[in-house]
Order: sequence, then structure tokens, then C-alpha cells
Amino acid sequence: MKTNNNTLLYILFIAVFAILLPAGYLSGLLSVNTISVWGRYFCFAIAALGIDLIWGYTGILSMCQAFFFCLGSYGIAMHLLLKKTAAAGAVLPDFMAWNKIETLPFFWQPFQSFGWSLVLCLLIPAVFAFIVGFVLFRSRIKGVYMAIITQALTLAMWLIFLRNETNLGGTNGLTDFSTILGFPLSSSSVKLGLYMISFAVLCGAYFCCYRITHSKFGRVLQAIRDSESRVSYTAYKVVDYKLAVFVVAALLAAVGGMLYLPQTGIITPGRMDVKASVEMVMWVALGGRGNLKGAVIGALLVNFLYSICTSLFPDSWLFILGFLFVITVLYFDKGFMGLVDSIKQRFSATRFKTPQTTH
Amino acid sequence: MNTSLRMLMCCFLLLPLFSAGQDSASIYTAQLLQPPADSVRTQAIGRLAALRIPATFPLLMAINDKKLYLLDQKAVTVDSKPTGEGTYRLYSLYPDNTLLTNSSGQPLLLPLSALKTVDIPRGDRLQLAGIAPLLNLFSNDAQKRTLAYSQLKNTGDSATLSILQAALAKETNADALRTGKDVLYAAQLYKATTTANANAYIDSIGDNWSDNAPVLLRNYAKAGFLNQETAHYAAAKAISLEKRYDSLQRIQNFFSGLSLGSILILIALGLSIVYGLAGIINMAHGEFMMIGAYTTYCTQVFFTHTLGIPQTDIFFLCALPLSFIVAGAMGWILERLVIRHLYAKPLESLLATWGVSLILIQTARLLFGDLTAVKTPQLLSGGWQVSPHLTLPYNRIFIIVLTLIMVLFTYLMLFRTRLGLQIRAVTQNRQMSACLGIETRRVASITFFIGSGLAGLAGCAITLIGNVVPDMGQTYIVDSFLVVVTGGVGKLAGTIFSGLGIGFFTKISESFFQAVYGKVFILLFIMLFMQYKPKGLFPDKGRIAED
Repeated sequence: MKTNNNTLLYILFIAVFAILLPAGYLSGLLSVNTISVWGRYFCFAIAALGIDLIWGYTGILSMCQAFFFCLGSYGIAMHLLLKKTAAAGAVLPDFMAWNKIETLPFFWQPFQSFGWSLVLCLLIPAVFAFIVGFVLFRSRIKGVYMAIITQALTLAMWLIFLRNETNLGGTNGLTDFSTILGFPLSSSSVKLGLYMISFAVLCGAYFCCYRITHSKFGRVLQAIRDSESRVSYTAYKVVDYKLAVFVVAALLAAVGGMLYLPQTGIITPGRMDVKASVEMVMWVALGGRGNLKGAVIGALLVNFLYSICTSLFPDSWLFILGFLFVITVLYFDKGFMGLVDSIKQRFSATRFKTPQTTH
Repeated sequence: MNTSLRMLMCCFLLLPLFSAGQDSASIYTAQLLQPPADSVRTQAIGRLAALRIPATFPLLMAINDKKLYLLDQKAVTVDSKPTGEGTYRLYSLYPDNTLLTNSSGQPLLLPLSALKTVDIPRGDRLQLAGIAPLLNLFSNDAQKRTLAYSQLKNTGDSATLSILQAALAKETNADALRTGKDVLYAAQLYKATTTANANAYIDSIGDNWSDNAPVLLRNYAKAGFLNQETAHYAAAKAISLEKRYDSLQRIQNFFSGLSLGSILILIALGLSIVYGLAGIINMAHGEFMMIGAYTTYCTQVFFTHTLGIPQTDIFFLCALPLSFIVAGAMGWILERLVIRHLYAKPLESLLATWGVSLILIQTARLLFGDLTAVKTPQLLSGGWQVSPHLTLPYNRIFIIVLTLIMVLFTYLMLFRTRLGLQIRAVTQNRQMSACLGIETRRVASITFFIGSGLAGLAGCAITLIGNVVPDMGQTYIVDSFLVVVTGGVGKLAGTIFSGLGIGFFTKISESFFQAVYGKVFILLFIMLFMQYKPKGLFPDKGRIAED
């Protein structure tokens, strides 16, 4: 029964996003912007999967996922900007010339090549997550302490990225790209291609996370969430498990960020301020933590709501978001998926007149 | 001593010259105010400008600024800005330049319409262009005077110096006086012919200690004007001045660290108590601060507009308790509606209170717009000038004192009252205290009231040093959480120590790096510190420490 339900959901999901939406665009019913917007939501969903792994399954509230997301975006943005500069025949990107920089900073050099950019976009967040995770988990910082310290870390990084002298574009961020691997970013077929790639990566990431959570490794993660001390008493190296999942989550966020950038065409430090990092966690909370489907649905739903609400009643979006936060936490502990489950249960209970069972 | 003697001598020498000019100046002044013909006035102004008698400068200044008026046939001028209700303070111009008072000794206030404007044509005014820099020495505006003094730098002309002396003799503003003296002493130093004389002037420059003094002395030393001895003396003086300046700067840094630390303590105090008691991460704590700040703003608006009391410090006195009560009441409501369901679920409470903070910020933005400012009470504006280069602003001192008082109150509340005993009991073990008959819910809501009230008070205090904006709480919230985490949850002493520590550390690292890198540095430091003490400065000892 349950497997059937899941398969149906997957088929529906793939049918809508891989066939219906592109078909709608090709037949002219949907504009290419709608496609691109959904492509961006997929990127958020990829990052949300990472958050679900670390928070939903392991119980570590990490507030620096937004920062890892931005690291991925910035890496790709640097590559695209260098390519555009080279095409225009200049040596330095415009904003550096305005800041009176003479030579390309050393950390921009490797981003000349696409391959290195991809590697670095994954390597830098992973190494960063490894170091931070190692320091924090080793001293058994957990729960609230972990949340606050990672939050402060994001804040500090945000402040650094805002500065002009770090040569990352300051408040304006990096923008104004033209091509990716020689394809013009503004063309609609490239946008459709990016959409499809994002969707494919999302499906791949989901599959990986599904395998992780259903493996022995994933079971240990859930055990850590439920009682960390008991796991460590049974001779599991808790720190290693936490560190591994922290790095995986960071990688997922970075992948999301890498795909996000060519579809929006701009990355600013605003993507990783305190607000953005809490909001990312909220996607998962709203969708249903500890439930991979919930994370994806939460990310898509909140962002879809955001685009609707900000165009219809811009002033009240924060009210809506705020109330959603409060109501979800207070009444729908398991988020949207939990709500669906309980409705389903009640429905089947009345239909078959069987006593409700608790799992 | 030497200086004043010299000045006196100068005055004696110039006196006959002055008195001779004085008579003709009176004649020209009279001609200027009631000219029989336009040409007479033109000539009179030209002569006055040529005579360069300091006593006539206020009058010429008024002409130059087009601010010459007649009141009962006497020449007067007005302040550059009106005093509130469109009236101006008046100054007589010649023969003496003083503030006019009414019969009861108060400054005489009149609107411009009560005065008769004297129109001087532009051609006549142009005659004053040559002595305009000197005229500014007699301006009513202290800033203009300071500028005029500094423009006289490098003049050795003795006629100009005598005018400078005359201006300094009636100078009232401390900054202007320091700048003026600096220029005067420097000119005299370069003219000095004996070593003793030169050293005396170097001492005077050192005592006067303007911003420019070390550079000035160094230049003199480099030029080696008189002899090697004075040059060495000047160089030594410059070094000692710079050393003293550095040590004062250190005190200033220490002070600003103290004031930042006390703000952090004031915010973190409530946060720490609430977190310790109920296991609640209150992300909306910063917004209670914002509510306190807006309460202060509303009180000010109420006093000035509704009650019609224009300039008074009473509003701030009323705002202090009001901001505590309003923010506390909001906190109490929040506890009733939301927090109550989230006890001992810190991560959930973090997200829910974040939602609340979004709602509160947006509400404030819709109600008040994006930027409002509270006027600092007059009593707290300005500062305590410890020495020329060390000013401790009163508002910062006030914040430090307020923090001290609030910490004391919190201490007394926690350790000397029945409620405090209950709070500490619930913090240690909620179930056990409930078993022993403590109404944990009541205790929790009272604690929440106090905690939010403390944040409101912090907000009221912060209006003294910054603008009131809807998201002002966000700037402090992460920092104050760091204070709580470093200090150890629910620990009064921990909060105080870590608040002060982070405050000092921020200011010290800011003087080495830029502010942003200082912040990053602090974060790294805290992360390393947590390696060593993962439960904060003052962890619980014994078995309750385990979870």
C-alpha cells in the first residue's frame, strides 16, 4: 500500500515537472520565465534535501547551509564573469577595475577553467564544512549552541562577502554574465536545458538521500537524533557520523547553489544573511522534517507561495511567512507531509471502520 | 606667564594707535548707518576696512553677511539660526559687541519683522572682500570662527596677529579658542629670538594641545629655526604629546568597549534568564528591544505634540519605565499565545519566535515607516571632557550606569526574593519544582515578562545612540546570543563576564583590524573557547549537568 502510494507520487511528480511543464512551454502555454523560475525552485529543493539530512535525520540544526549554497553560486559566478571578461577582451571584471585593482586576485585564477571551477565549488564548501564541523562536533557542541554558532558564522561570512576589499563584488554581488560553456544564458533553449538539468540533479539527489537514509549509515544518523549519548555508549563514533552528514549536506547546498546561479544571473551576499539561512530551515520545517519528500515539497511550496504573495500583496508576505512559521511549529509538528498523512489516516479510518493505529 | 606678559606688552604698544583710530571709527560708523549720500557710505566702509580696528569687525562682519539691522537707531545683528519660534537673539555691534538682554536679564528675543534692515549695496560689500578671513574671526558661529583661526596659519604679519589676539580675548568656544591659540603661539614661536622664549612658546603649544600640535612642533624641530636646543625640545614635546594621546586613545577604546559590553549585557540578561528557565531560544528578543525603542519614540511624540511640551527631558524619564512595561506586556502576551506550547523544545522555539519576529518587524514597518529618531534629552547630550582629547559622552555613561542598576536589580530579584528562588528552582529542575508546589507556568510567564521588559529597557537606552528602525533588533540578536552561549545559560555572572569580554574584545580588535574582521576574529575566538569550555564560562557542576 505504502510503496504504491510512493510510486504514484513519484510518477506524478516526474510527469508534472519533466513532461507537463516543458510541454506547456513548447506548446506556448507557459512563458520561458515560468520554466526558469521552477528551475530555481529545484535548486532550493536540492539544498533543502541537505538540510533535511542534517536537521531532520540527524537533529543538528545547521544555520550555515545558506552560506554553502552561496559558496557554490559564487564559484560558478566567478567562472562566468571571467569568461565574459575574456570574451570582451578585458583582463579584469568591471567591478575590479572600478575598485582600482591591478591584477586578478590569486583565488580568482583557478576559476578560469570550467573543470576547476566545478571541482572548487564542491571542494571549498566540503573543506569548510569539514573544518567547522570537526571543531564544533569534537567539543560536543550540539542543539541550540550549534545553531547559534553556525548562525554567527554565517553572519560573519556575510559581513566578509559584503566588503569590497575581498574582491567578491561587495553588496552588489556578481552579475551580468553572458554565456555558460559557450551557450548564451539569455536564450530560452539554454534556460530549458538548465531547468531539465536541475530537475535531473534534484531527482538524483533525492535518490542518493533516499539511499543514505535507508542505509545503515542513515539508521545511525536517526539514532543520533533520538539519543546521542546512547549511540556513543554503543561504541559508535558519533563525531564521524555527524561530520560526514554535515559535509554531505554542505555539498548538496553547494550543488543547489551552482545550478541556481546560471538561472538567476545574479548572486549577492543577501542570499546568505541571517534571514535567508533561517528561511531555508523553514522550508524543511514547513514541508515536514525527517521526510525527504517533505523537504522537496516544502522548498517548492514556500518559494511558489513567495512568488505569488509578493506579486499580489507585497506588504503582507512577511506576515504570511511569520504566521506559517508559528502555526507550523505549534500545530503541525511534522509539517505539510505530516498533515497529509494524518488526513489520509483519518480518511482511511472512517472508510474502513478500523481503529486508528499509531506508528 | 611669559605669554600673557608679552600679550600685555603688545596691547600697551598698540593702545595709542587704537584710541586714535577709535574716534574716526565712531564717525565712520555713524556715517555708515545714516549716510547723507551713497558715496559717503561707500567711503566710510572703505575707510573702516582699511583701518582694521578689531572693535569694528563685528559691524563689518554683519555687513558682509547681510545681517545688519537697526533697533532704536542702534546697529544690531542676529544669530545665524532662529531659536525655535522664529525669534532671534540679538547682538549689539559697536562700540561693544554683546548679547542684548531685556529688563529681567534674559536674552532679548525678537522676530526679524521687528527690526529694520539696513541694505548695503553689493559694490560696498565687495570692499570688505580683502579682510573677509579676518572678519570671520568675529562671526557669531563658533564653527566659522574655528575655520577662520585655522586659515590664519602661517601668517607672521604683526597687524594680523594683533587682530587675532583681540579675537582670542573674547573667544568663548573651547574648540575655537584652542585652534586660535595654536595659530598665535606658532606664529610667536617662529618669531622668538631667545631659547627661553622659544621654549616657553613650545610649552604653551604643548599645554594648549590642539590636534595639530605634534605636527606643528615636529615641523619646527625639522626646520631648526633658532638653534639645535629648541629643535630638540620641540621634538621631545611632540613625542610626549603623541604618547599621551595614545594612552588617552586607549582609555577611549576601553570606554567604548565598556559601553558596548553593557548594551550587550542589558540585552543578554533577559535572554539568558528566559533561556535558562524555559529552554526557549527567543529570536524575537531583539524585537522587544525594538518595541522598547518605539515606545520611547511614541512617548516623545506624545509629549511634544499632544501635551505640547516642546523641550523637556521628562519624556525620557517616563519612557524608561514605560518601555519596560510595554515590552514586558508584549512578551507576556507572546508567552501566553506561543511560547507556552514550546517549553524545553529549544530548536522549535527558535523557528517559531523567528516567525514572531518577522511579524513584529513588518508591523513596526507598516506603523512607523522605515526610519525614525528619538531626540537625545538635553541632559544627556554632550559629554564629560576629561581632557582636550578625551570626551566621555554622557549618553554612554548613562547606559553603563543603567546596566549597572539593572544587573543589581536582577541580582537582588534572583537571589533575595521568593520569586527569584522559584525561578532558580525551575531553571534547575522543572518537574521537581512542580512536585514541590511551585506553579511553574506562573513563574515562567513572570520571568518572560521581566526578560522582555529588560530588552525593552535596552531598546529605550539604545535610542540615545542610534536611530529607531524596525529591524534594529536583528543587529544585536546574534551577538547577544553569543554572549549567552559563552557565558553559560541562565548564569548571571556568566552573562556579565562574557558581555563585557565580548564588548572589550570587539573594540580592541577593531582598533587592530577593521570592524568586520574584528567580528570574524571574535567568532573564531569563541569557537576555540568552546573547545575548552563547551558549556560556557560557568557551567553547572555535578549530575544536573548531564542531559
